[in-house]
Amino acid sequence: MNKIPVSLNVNGREENLEIPPHKTLLEVIRDDLNLTGTKCGCEDGTCGTCTVLLDGAAVRSCLLLAAEVQGHEIVTIEGLADGERLHPVQQAIVNHGGVQCGFCTPGMILSAKALLDKQPSPTESVVRQAISGNLCRCTGYTKIVESIMALSGQPVSS
Amino acid sequence: MSEYSVVGKRIPRTDSVPRVTGEAKYSADLSLPGMLYAKVLRSPYAHAKILNIDTSKAERLPGVRAIITGKDAIPYKWGVFAYTRDMQLLPSDKVRYFGEEVAAVAAIDEDIAREALDLIQVDFEPLPWVLDAEEALLEGAPQIHQDKPGNISVRIFVDEGEVDRALEESYLVQEDRFSSPEENYCQLEPYAVLANFDSTGLDIWCPNAGPHMKARPLSNALGIPTSEVRVRKITIGGHGGGRSEVSPADFMAALLSRKARRPVKLVYTREENFNCVRQVHAATTHSRVGVDREGRITAVDMKVIMDGGAYASTGPIAASVAYIMIEEAYKFANFRYEAIRAYTNKPPRGMYPHHPRTAYGGLELQLDVLAEKLGMDPLELRIKNAVYEGYVTPTKTVITSCAEVETMIKAAEKAGWKEKRGALPPGRGIGMGVGSVISGFPMGIRGGSGAFVRFNEDGDATVISGVVDNGQGNDSMIAQIAAEELGLSVDKIKVVTADTSMTPADQGAYSQASTVMSGGAVKAAAADAKNQLLQVAAEMLEANPKDLVARDGRIYAKGSPDRFLDIAKVARTALSRDHAILGRGDRWPSADAKREWVKNPRGQVASAFSFGTAVAEVEVDRETGRVKLLNMVAAHDCGYPINPLAVEQQIQRSALEAGPEGTLLEKHAWTANGQNLNANFLDYWFPLSTDVPNIDPIIVTSNDPFGPFGAKEGGLSISVAMVGAVANAVQNAIGVTPKQLPITPEVVLRLLEEKEKQSEAKS
Ligand code: FES
Ligand code: FES
Repeated sequence: MNKIPVSLNVNGREENLEIPPHKTLLEVIRDDLNLTGTKCGCEDGTCGTCTVLLDGAAVRSCLLLAAEVQGHEIVTIEGLADGERLHPVQQAIVNHGGVQCGFCTPGMILSAKALLDKQPSPTESVVRQAISGNLCRCTGYTKIVESIMALSGQPVSS
Repeated sequence: MSEYSVVGKRIPRTDSVPRVTGEAKYSADLSLPGMLYAKVLRSPYAHAKILNIDTSKAERLPGVRAIITGKDAIPYKWGVFAYTRDMQLLPSDKVRYFGEEVAAVAAIDEDIAREALDLIQVDFEPLPWVLDAEEALLEGAPQIHQDKPGNISVRIFVDEGEVDRALEESYLVQEDRFSSPEENYCQLEPYAVLANFDSTGLDIWCPNAGPHMKARPLSNALGIPTSEVRVRKITIGGHGGGRSEVSPADFMAALLSRKARRPVKLVYTREENFNCVRQVHAATTHSRVGVDREGRITAVDMKVIMDGGAYASTGPIAASVAYIMIEEAYKFANFRYEAIRAYTNKPPRGMYPHHPRTAYGGLELQLDVLAEKLGMDPLELRIKNAVYEGYVTPTKTVITSCAEVETMIKAAEKAGWKEKRGALPPGRGIGMGVGSVISGFPMGIRGGSGAFVRFNEDGDATVISGVVDNGQGNDSMIAQIAAEELGLSVDKIKVVTADTSMTPADQGAYSQASTVMSGGAVKAAAADAKNQLLQVAAEMLEANPKDLVARDGRIYAKGSPDRFLDIAKVARTALSRDHAILGRGDRWPSADAKREWVKNPRGQVASAFSFGTAVAEVEVDRETGRVKLLNMVAAHDCGYPINPLAVEQQIQRSALEAGPEGTLLEKHAWTANGQNLNANFLDYWFPLSTDVPNIDPIIVTSNDPFGPFGAKEGGLSISVAMVGAVANAVQNAIGVTPKQLPITPEVVLRLLEEKEKQSEAKS
C-alpha cells in the first residue's frame, strides 16, 4: 500500500511518519505512536473515548485523518501530567472518585480540560454540556461532574 | 480512636492514577512481537445450516497466516452447567443467530484480514427462524436445538404456601402483564483478546469476570490441561454481567494463535460488542399480587417468559434471579413463580444484575396501585412488608444482616417524600422502589476464593488473590482490607490479582461475591500472616502474642502504644530467624450446597443480602412524551463500607443502569430477518451526562456477620430499586400504569392517549 510522509506535533514532540493516507488520527496515535491512553470505543464519532486536544479544542480523533492535522498541536492524555505530578483535572478525578473502569476517563479528562482552559469557572450545566459527547457507563456522571466542579469553584446541585 | 484505621475511610481508589494518565493497559492496548490481527466472518442468517466453507481463496491472499472454521475445533459443546451444554464456541453444523461466528482469519494487518473474509465462500441452507419467545414456545415453531424440544432452554418453578387460596381470600388483588425488549451492556471497552499459544500452552488477555472461569472451558475446548491456560491480569473496561462467561472471541483467538504459532489479537468493533457478546433478556411478566386490608402482601403469583436467544448461557441463574430478589425484598408466605426461558434466533442473553425488569419492576408498580386503592402511603406499605434479620423466605433462605427499613426511611427523608408525594404540580411525579440482592451463591467446587499474603524485606506486604477487577474497584478493596488487618497503610500493600498462572482460584465477580468471598479470603490470609508476625514480635517484646496489636505500621501491647516495634523490623527479624512470613486463607459461601437452580430451588441461597431503596422525581412533557429525571436518591445497606467513596460509586452506577438506562431509554429493535436495528450509539439510547441529574447516594450499615469487617455487596440493590422508583414516578406523574419498559416517549404518549379516551368514554 502506498504511504505518505506526515509530520505531526503530538504532546510537544515532532513526529515524522510514513503512513497510508486513509489512516485516522486515532489509529496513528495508538498504533504508530504507541500512545494507547487514547481509547477506541466506536470508531464512528459517537462515544468520545478517542477525544484528544487539537490546538486546545476537544476533538474525536477517530473522525480525523492523520494527514489532515499536520501543523496543528495535538495533546493526548499522556501529555497532561508533568512527570509524576498529575494535571489538576486528573488529580480532581482521582480525589473525587470520577474514575471507575477508566475507559472513558482519558477522553473525559481532555473534554474537561478544553472547557476549563477556555472558561475557568463554568456552571454545572455548562460542564454537563461539555462532556455530553463522552459516554460513561460506570459513574452515572455524578462524580465526574463533582470533580470538574471542584475546579470550577461553582456550586453543585444536589 | 475509631475501631479501624484503614477500612471505612474514604480514600481515592488505589487503581485510579494509571487510569487517569493513560498508562493502564486494556486488552486492545497490548501487542507482542510478531502479533497477527484477526477478523471474524459472521452469519448473514438468523438460522441456517452450514453446508460447506471454502477458505482456499482466502488462504492464498498474501499476508494471511491462519484461517479457522468449526472444523478446526474439537467437537465440544460448552455450557455453564452440565445440563446446559449447547454451544460450540465456533459452530460447525449450523448458525442460530444473525451475526454468529462462522470463520476467523489471522493476518499481518487488519486490512488484509478483512479482505480475506470476503474471499471465504460459505454455502448456507437457510432454515425457518423465530425471533419472539412466545412464538418460539408454540407448537410447530422452528426447532433451534435438536435436543431441546419446544425451544425450552430452562424452566424454573417454585410453588410455596397456598397461593390460590391466599389470593382468593385477599382483600385486593392486582393483576397485570408487563413486557420489555432486550437491553445491551454497552461496556465502554469493546471486547478484545490477545492470545499467544506456544509449546507451553496458552497465554490470554481479555476482559473477564473471573479468570478461573475462563480457563476451565478454554482448556476443555482446546483439549489441554487447565494449568496450561493462563488467563492473565489486564485492566477491564466494564462488565455489568455481560462478561461472565467464556467468549467465542477467546476461543477463536486461541485457536488462530495455535494454528499460526504467532500471537493473535482480536478486537471487536462496537457493532460486534452490541451483537456478538451477551445481551440482556427481553421478557414478559404476568403478575398477580394480593394484599389484606392493612396492606400486607398475602401472595404473589408470577409467570415470566424470557427470550434467551440462541444459547443457554447462564439461563438457569438468569431465570431465577427475579424471584430470589422479590422474596428477599418483601415478606409474604405464598409464592408461585414460573419462568420459562425460550430459545430464539437472536444473540444469546446472559447475566445481568437485575432481570427481568418486568418482574420486580412490575411488582413495584403494582404495589403503588394497591397502596392507592387502600388509601395508603406507598412508603408505609413498603415498611409494613419489609423483611428483617432472621426472616425466612418462602424458599427457605434465612435473611441475615438487614437494614431494609432504614434504607426506606433515609431515602424518603432525603428526597422529601412526605412533602412532595401528592403535592407536586401537574406533570411531575415522585416514586419509590425497593430492591434486595444476594452476595455469593453456591457454585460447588468453584464457589470459594483463596488468598496469600507475603511480607517483603522492607515491611511492605504483597497480597495474592484471584479476585478480578472489572472497574468496580476490587483491587483497591482487597488492599484496604489487607492493610487494616496487617496494621499497615494502604500504600504499603501491593496486589497481584486475576492471573490463573499464579493466583489462587476465585469464584469471580458474580453474584456480588467479591467483597464477601474474595475480601473475606484476603482478610483471613492477612490474619494468618499477622499472627506469624505477632509471634515473632512477642518474642522480641517478651510479651504474650495475644496481647499484641498491629496498627499504623507498628506492633505494641494493647494499652501501651509507646513501647512499639516497627512492622518492617519485625518482618526482617523473622527472616533473620529463618522464618518467611506467608499467610494463607480461603472463604466459601455459607449457602446450602444442595440448593440447585432447577432441580432444588430451596435452602439457603447466599451468605449475605443487601437492601436498597431508591426515590426518583420526574417531569413528563405531555406534548413530546419525554420523561425528564429531576432527582434520584438511593440508600443502600452495604453492611459496612470498606471505602465509602467506592460504595457511593457503585450506588451511582447502579442508579444509572436501572433508572435512565433500564426504565426510560434502552432497548433493541430487530428487522424481520433477525438483524439488530440499533447496534450503535446513535440509535441505541445510551444516557448522556445531560440526561441525568446528580445521583444522591446514602450509605446504610448493618454490620454483616459473614462479610469482612461487616461488609457485603456495595450498591447493586439500587440497580433493582431504581427501576421501581423511576417507573412509579412516571405512574405518579401521569396517573396510568406503564406496562411496557423502557418508558420511552412513544410509550408515554400512547398511555396518555388511552387515558384520555377512557375519561372521554366515562363522561
Ligand atoms: S472512538 Fe471516536 S468517538 Fe468513539
Ligand atoms: S469509568 Fe467506566 S465508562 Fe466511565
